[in-house]
Amino acid sequence: MDIEIFPHRILGTDTTEKVLNDIESLDSVKRTVIQGPRLPPQDEIDRIYGDRRIIVVNGEEVELKVKTGRIFVELYDESGIEEIRSICDEHIDTGFDINTSKSQYIRKQRTVTDGLKYGENTEIPDELVGIADTRSKFKDHVSILKRDTLE
Amino acid sequence: MAQYYPGTSQVAENRRKYTNPDVELEVLREISDEDVVKLLGHRAPGEEYKSVHPPLDELDEPDDIIREIVEPIDGAKAGDRVRYIQFVDSMYFAPAQPFLRARSYVYRYRGIDTGTLSGRQIIEARERDLERISKEILENEYFDTARTGIRGSGVHGHSLRLDENGLMFDMLRRQVLNKETGNVEMVKDQIGHELDEPVVLGEPLDEETLRAKTTIYRCDGEAYKDDEDAVTVLRQIHVTRSQFGYNPEY
Repeated sequence: MDIEIFPHRILGTDTTEKVLNDIESLDSVKRTVIQGPRLPPQDEIDRIYGDRRIIVVNGEEVELKVKTGRIFVELYDESGIEEIRSICDEHIDTGFDINTSKSQYIRKQRTVTDGLKYGENTEIPDELVGIADTRSKFKDHVSILKRDTLE
Repeated sequence: MAQYYPGTSQVAENRRKYTNPDVELEVLREISDEDVVKLLGHRAPGEEYKSVHPPLDELDEPDDIIREIVEPIDGAKAGDRVRYIQFVDSMYFAPAQPFLRARSYVYRYRGIDTGTLSGRQIIEARERDLERISKEILENEYFDTARTGIRGSGVHGHSLRLDENGLMFDMLRRQVLNKETGNVEMVKDQIGHELDEPVVLGEPLDEETLRAKTTIYRCDGEAYKDDEDAVTVLRQIHVTRSQFGYNPEY
């Protein structure tokens, strides 16, 4: 089953890191997706005032690309909900809701977009379906080493 | 006695306070004249005011009783251009909100024109008067550095969730929080041109102060439906308007 954590304010990097680490350490959690507005462009203002940094979740470095507006969590069973609620109580002091009304918050089926992006015949592992950024651009996946220039 | 706003709640009391021109609003911060000019972005600090007509003294105006009764404001006397400042008020307990701004501005200031939309409120006046009014509004209770935005363009954000640090979303990142000092700084002018030096606006007000100062009814603050006096008056206005076209006999 899926749940949605809906914080009453957009979470900063530090809180996101703490919440994700604690959620990921639970046995009942299958996978987690964070969703929200994109971080601003990397420029001088962002360097001085911004909140962008690489966070460490379960020992792995993750580059945050969005601000945390919602956290979708897929659980093996309902027992994890109360544990997640206590984690959120501990770290999110500006209020939050845990929504369970929908049967799923993370997409489980392959879509046409997946086919276009990754190739029709490519087998995407089940655990990756629905957690990629649907609005990501081609250049985010491919490194172009040299551009052709037209004379 | 003028009746500015009905209601017995704190929000109603605050609305009366802003709207009543006899009440002097609390000054919360200090922003220099030069900084106000910078963040308005209409002229460079120290630059002369541009004019659209010669000073009124030099103009040969036709005789008119209204011209004798009404004293022109300074900017009109000098022939300044009409310029603007626009504010965006977050729905999350900002001190002011657009319709209150419009009502209270026309009680408090002469020679202005205001335009009101759901999330933003523009005020237009002759340039030197605008600077005087802007300074006053930015320094007193009308303004909170986190929940109120000075935005000439790119105004989106008044109804979005706040950032964790309490700042309202701003797509152009004009007002940003300096984590070291705890002050909100304005790094761009109101339409998004970068400033050479950031203008320090000061610390945001804390949540409790904002809730005490706000003029916004909210069900997680003071709900409008709980303010019976205000609801009764509103209902009376609605009924008389709908059924009798404001005919006072009814």
